[in-house]
Amino acid sequence: MQRFWDDPVSWEAAGRYALVALALLAVVIVFVTYAIYFERKVIGWMQFRQGPNRTGPLGLLQTVADVAKLLVKEDTIPAKADKALFVLAPALAFIPSFTVLAVIPYGLNLPFADLNVGFLYYVALSGVTTIAIVIAGWASNNKYALLGGMRSAAQMISYEVPLVLSVVGVAMLTESLNLRDIVLRQEGYFWHWNVFPQIIGFAVFVVAAVSELNRTPFDLPEAESELVAGYHVEYSGFRFAFFMLAEYVYIYAIACLTTILFLGGWNAPFPQLDFIPGLVWFAFKFALIVFSLFWIRATLPRLRVDQLMGLAWKALLPLALANILLTALGIEWLG
Amino acid sequence: MFPFNLNPTGEFFAFFALAVCAITGAVMALSLAKVVHTALSLAFTFVSLAGLFILLGAEFVAFVQVLIYVGAVTILMIFGIMMTKHRDEERERGRPLLETLAAVFCLCLFGILFFAIRSAGFPVPETALPADNTTEIGTLLFTKYAVPFELVSVLLTAAFIGAVALAKREEEPA
Repeated sequence: MQRFWDDPVSWEAAGRYALVALALLAVVIVFVTYAIYFERKVIGWMQFRQGPNRTGPLGLLQTVADVAKLLVKEDTIPAKADKALFVLAPALAFIPSFTVLAVIPYGLNLPFADLNVGFLYYVALSGVTTIAIVIAGWASNNKYALLGGMRSAAQMISYEVPLVLSVVGVAMLTESLNLRDIVLRQEGYFWHWNVFPQIIGFAVFVVAAVSELNRTPFDLPEAESELVAGYHVEYSGFRFAFFMLAEYVYIYAIACLTTILFLGGWNAPFPQLDFIPGLVWFAFKFALIVFSLFWIRATLPRLRVDQLMGLAWKALLPLALANILLTALGIEWLG
Repeated sequence: MFPFNLNPTGEFFAFFALAVCAITGAVMALSLAKVVHTALSLAFTFVSLAGLFILLGAEFVAFVQVLIYVGAVTILMIFGIMMTKHRDEERERGRPLLETLAAVFCLCLFGILFFAIRSAGFPVPETALPADNTTEIGTLLFTKYAVPFELVSVLLTAAFIGAVALAKREEEPA
């Protein structure tokens, strides 16, 4: 870490960091644009529909048109809202979602912040978005929004616990929280990937991660059939776009994180296939997880609000704890 | 020119930015009228303090600080504030005697702290700090400090059971 701030400050260094950040932002925006398109297409096909196919060739410009519509829309702030917080909340939701991407290693030689507590960094910062959602719900001065914010707070705090505990097994196997070390340990054949020795941890992680993303079947904070739209019911225009952007950037982040923690990151499934660059493998696994997330959304109905807490505390948490115990025993007996 | 040795590295700027942020957050937490605003500025201070921890090379402490204080404590606070009814716009009338006394004591406290910090020596540890201090914290927790660690766990469990018992009692009809 120290090397980042020992250099004297110069415009050149600042410009370099800014350029890297802007490049990453561009990649993420392109991802978000086509993830939304892909999601609508996939869900459309699963429901025997076409999905968007009018704007541009094959409907490829549908999201661009949607975003353009949001940007030129009138920006409304409710008269009784807490104006400062209402304006602050969308930015506060987006900033952590983008900053968590700093520690994601895509390949051995690609620049990223090589932090020795990479996973902790991700979990800690993603918690800040919860504050933004709660604040958005409260500042809107709307009952539905407030209910959505409340649900979000309860859900995020509850599911953060199994999420962190499910990764403890991986950390024990690697003896590090550094995301690069975690990938390096999974070198070799595909059965060296953490998903196999840590299958319980993987299952708990996926369920908790989908819940942290506030996506179906855990989209209670914005359950449209009960809460109209939940915490962002009063938002329109580009502020609404920011909430959506934050949500899809988190999909990007969680897909990267799952790839790194459990699917061997940039490693090929067989060492013989190493001639294909690691970035391609990473992108392939990443795309697989993004597709699975959309698949889950198209398949499962929403959880009832009274079942939500039970699942986190009575099912996921004991499983995650059992996984830690089993991993410890496994390390002790099998070496 | 100044009795400080200023060399403008990234650390220097980061320290000043974070220090200003931490103080701003703390002052805002005291002076803002609405309770939710107060909780939020407190969260801002916590994040800035985490930044200072990173500057000191304690990444683990920094992110645990964000995870626990910003992620959990602040949200619980906001949650509690939202759930309870309160009139937060009311302003108390000033009490000059109390305020003067408070100011005097604050100045005294500042003087004591300033004097203590100026006169304190900061010994450099003989051995270099380990590069991976997360591992080091883990090792120490389970070897040298295993007993205190277990005692704290027992304390937390007791608090946890106590909270459950309190919540249970409220559920029963009186």
